[in-house]
Amino acid sequence: MSLLLTIGIVIIVVVIMFFLIFWGYYNRIIRLENRIENSWGQIDVQLKRRADLIPNLLESVKGYMAHEKETLENVTKARSALMNAKTPQDNIDADNMLTGALKSLFAVSEAYPDLKANQNFLQLQDELTHTEDKISYARQHFNDSVLSFNNIVETIPGIWFAKRMNKSTKEMIQIPVENREVPQVKF
Amino acid sequence: MLVEDHIKHNKRLTVFICGFMAFLFLLVISSFGYLYFGNIYISIIFGLPVALVYIAITYSFSVKTVLSAAKARPANSLVREEKLLMYKVEEMAIAAGLPTPKVYVQESDNINAFATGKKPEEAVICATTGAIRKLKIDELEGVLAHEMSHIKNHDILIATVTIGVVGAISLISEIVFYSMFWGGAGRGRKNEGNAIIMVLAIVLIILAPIFSRLTYLAISRKREYLADSNGAYLTRNPEGLAKALEKIKNDMPQGKPKGSKTVAPLYIANPFKRQSTNSIWSTHPPINERIKRLRSM
Repeated sequence: MSLLLTIGIVIIVVVIMFFLIFWGYYNRIIRLENRIENSWGQIDVQLKRRADLIPNLLESVKGYMAHEKETLENVTKARSALMNAKTPQDNIDADNMLTGALKSLFAVSEAYPDLKANQNFLQLQDELTHTEDKISYARQHFNDSVLSFNNIVETIPGIWFAKRMNKSTKEMIQIPVENREVPQVKF
Repeated sequence: MLVEDHIKHNKRLTVFICGFMAFLFLLVISSFGYLYFGNIYISIIFGLPVALVYIAITYSFSVKTVLSAAKARPANSLVREEKLLMYKVEEMAIAAGLPTPKVYVQESDNINAFATGKKPEEAVICATTGAIRKLKIDELEGVLAHEMSHIKNHDILIATVTIGVVGAISLISEIVFYSMFWGGAGRGRKNEGNAIIMVLAIVLIILAPIFSRLTYLAISRKREYLADSNGAYLTRNPEGLAKALEKIKNDMPQGKPKGSKTVAPLYIANPFKRQSTNSIWSTHPPINERIKRLRSM
């Protein structure tokens, strides 16, 4: 009788423990998944902001850089690629293209002292650099979130629960090597 | 060691030291109860709520106190340097996955910065004008990442709680000290009890304020290392903070440092002392050791 009782209690305790552990892991996995989604949203907002700033920039340099047609065209092209991008990786690739095009635009602008003294241009340059930095940090946070998610769903015991929840590892955003350096802006 | 290992190591040590502090606090309260009521539970029942209320009050006023003690003002987005500071703070908040804190500026030639705020959602980061002018952008970024980590690690909460506990322990110790002087101790005790335990309890209560103060300082130093390694993880660039710390070390303060001593433990480096030795009485670890650890990441 007392043996049966002991076994019964042990079974109940084990079931409750299992339920609690499952509860913990379920919430953790869902929370991490939401964090990934949220950090993608953050990247998306910054990409849009950046695309919105480009027309203003082109407007302010137009008068000074009429002869730099190719540079300006590259920026326009990269911007429309960014506007039309569908998948996250497409977005990031288009953004990298835009970063390159802007880099050469700002390099060319060095040759125009009038432009360099233009307050509006300076402000746009600051803000574009700022959005660029925000995008790279948002990407980093996205990848950090994906890493913690993947660590949970790939290791024991998380992997057992993840399988039941139909969750598997997620892809990180690939960052080209030259973009990893800290942008150097003097002030 | 990898940055992640640094973070884990520092976290474990802080948890351990905080545990020791809690243990010390319970020990002191129990001794107090033993000496006065011959019953340790009575004082635990009454002592704990009093300590908690005290901590809650200091905690809820912490931000205002700190900002006015430092004479800080909100950053002006019309000044380019301060706007770039706001930009950098926003970037660091994104890297940490936190809401953007309010940005404040303190007029001072010294290179320094601090963070305060009860919750990450209502945090404040303050940098001195010296820091804005003298630091390069990647160095400033390192400093801000360090402050952002203090916010993320809830260091303000831990600092307030430990200061509260230190205060409560010294208060108890003082009560016992004065009442012994007037011959009041043991009045409420029903039995004579064990003389050895009584002596031990008295010795403990006398030594506790010193121990708790030292434990608080140890926690403060460990949190600095933790914020250093977390900050390096945010920027992926330990060298930025290392270079900033080097600049702070070589930048002797011009005139009297501004702000009160209350704020000193919050700053990235203690503005009142240029210490290079490893003292158990300092709020921050020696700056050379911090640079060395950052460079080993």
